[in-house]
Amino acid sequence: MERRRFIAFALTPSLIVLFAVAVLPAIYLIVTSLTPFQLTTPGSATDFSEPLRNYRLLPGDPRFVNSLAVQAKLSVASVLFQVLLGMLLALLLNVPSRFVEFARTFFLIPMVLPPIVVAVIWKLIYAPDISPLYYAAQALHVTLPALTSSVDFALTSIVIADTWEWTPFTFLMVLAALQTIPDEYSEAALVDGANKLQIFWYVTLPFITPILVISGMFRLIDSVKAFPLIFLLTGGGPGTVTEVTNYYAYLLAFDTNEIGYSSAVTVVMLLLVCGISLGLVWMGRRKEALA
Amino acid sequence: MSESSLRKATPGRLVAITVTLLILLSPFLWLLQMSFKTNDEILQFPPPLIFTPTLQNYISLWHSAFSASFVNSLLSASLSTTLALLFGVPAAYALSRWAGRGKHALSFAILVTRMAPPIAFTIPFFLFYRWIGLLDTITGLVLVYTSFNLPLVIWMMQPFFDTIPVSLEEAALVDGARTRTVFTKIVLPMVTPGIAATAILCFLYAWNDFFFALILTRTNARTAPVAVVNFMNYEGWEWGKIAAGGSLVMAPVLIFSLAVRRYLVSGLTAGAVKG
Repeated sequence: MERRRFIAFALTPSLIVLFAVAVLPAIYLIVTSLTPFQLTTPGSATDFSEPLRNYRLLPGDPRFVNSLAVQAKLSVASVLFQVLLGMLLALLLNVPSRFVEFARTFFLIPMVLPPIVVAVIWKLIYAPDISPLYYAAQALHVTLPALTSSVDFALTSIVIADTWEWTPFTFLMVLAALQTIPDEYSEAALVDGANKLQIFWYVTLPFITPILVISGMFRLIDSVKAFPLIFLLTGGGPGTVTEVTNYYAYLLAFDTNEIGYSSAVTVVMLLLVCGISLGLVWMGRRKEALA
Repeated sequence: MSESSLRKATPGRLVAITVTLLILLSPFLWLLQMSFKTNDEILQFPPPLIFTPTLQNYISLWHSAFSASFVNSLLSASLSTTLALLFGVPAAYALSRWAGRGKHALSFAILVTRMAPPIAFTIPFFLFYRWIGLLDTITGLVLVYTSFNLPLVIWMMQPFFDTIPVSLEEAALVDGARTRTVFTKIVLPMVTPGIAATAILCFLYAWNDFFFALILTRTNARTAPVAVVNFMNYEGWEWGKIAAGGSLVMAPVLIFSLAVRRYLVSGLTAGAVKG
């Protein structure tokens, strides 16, 4: 009995804190999304005369619809690159060697850097007047467009920076999976006359497919958080070419004061992220059931 | 076990690894070398690869408002880490020992609070802080970071407690010890490495944050990441200071993450580095 009480006692403060700082804000966010709340309009925070107005406006808001498309493009492209490059890196570094083990740590640097420092690094790579990229192009007599302010390249430059930042994550996950594959399997395939490509395709790939999917899902959920890169590199522009939903919600709330409408955008975004997260958990369960 | 003939550290592979690493790290190294250049050298074409390194950028940062921001970052990150551990470690222990139904649902609910995009918290926090006067205060930042790190602590620490056999605790209980004593005197010392790793990860999350600090602070509680961005202004960009500030912001991160690299994956998958 005393033990039970202790467990309850140990758990309660955390639950109270989480309720206060996660559940209450979520409820408040939903409440705000039902109002035309603007900081500059008195009484707008409690105006529930037309609660679903914000949600009704959303489908007809070209910037909102565009932001979902931009987010989809950014997420799909960066997740694909990160999973592919992470896998290639992991295959390259999956060798038993002291030097390689030592080197692996340095491959993780981009991922652990503060996101704003990553953004600063890419800001200077993309800054025409001082960038090593532009120096190199000039030396080769190639004229590069201003990448982050070009309609054609702005989103690509965000994808490149995001891929640089997060490939170490997928690399780390895939490497961990590769190390669980017993060497005997590929040895046996080798004896049977399989070439390297066949061994990869028929032995290695089936082993690492679940981890490829899972690390891709993690990156997909997190790709909503590319905020510092967009904030510093393009500011959502040119026009709305790189304006993801997260950034649009930020501008609405903290730039144009449309707090109620921004809350509605955020609620929709939350629902999407939750849906994807639940999908991830469901897949994780299924994987456990299969194993 | 014989070493595989397929996975061998051939010279060719080692060269490929080294070249890949250099390419991968070149953007990072470019920022680092820039922080030791004068503004003239930064703007020179072609960029001088051999130059006399100067600490001028760092010295001028030291004498600017940046040092106060650095202290703000240190304060908010370490205080929030302490609080998150204080609340989270006992909770993780409780979850680990609690056999009741609903344990998994509760664990998942705790994790979900961390998966949500930061903007979902920022709007309510901003309005609430504005109302009670917590905008632009260290207290306000500590509160947000604690709430963001709490789920991480619970998720990181639970497996550590799981590895401690319950029979060990039962023996002490039979001898008449109270659960509280068993927890503090027997269980906690055994998970000290886990606590250290978790603490470092919490510190890094708070330290790395840009989004919350951008919106919830102005001048008094401005953190180092926001201060770096403030060097980009319309009067001309102070690239030397930006590079030096960026290097200073990433210094503790690099040191700490080397220390906990074994736990990085579990830490990162239990949520995400806040944007």
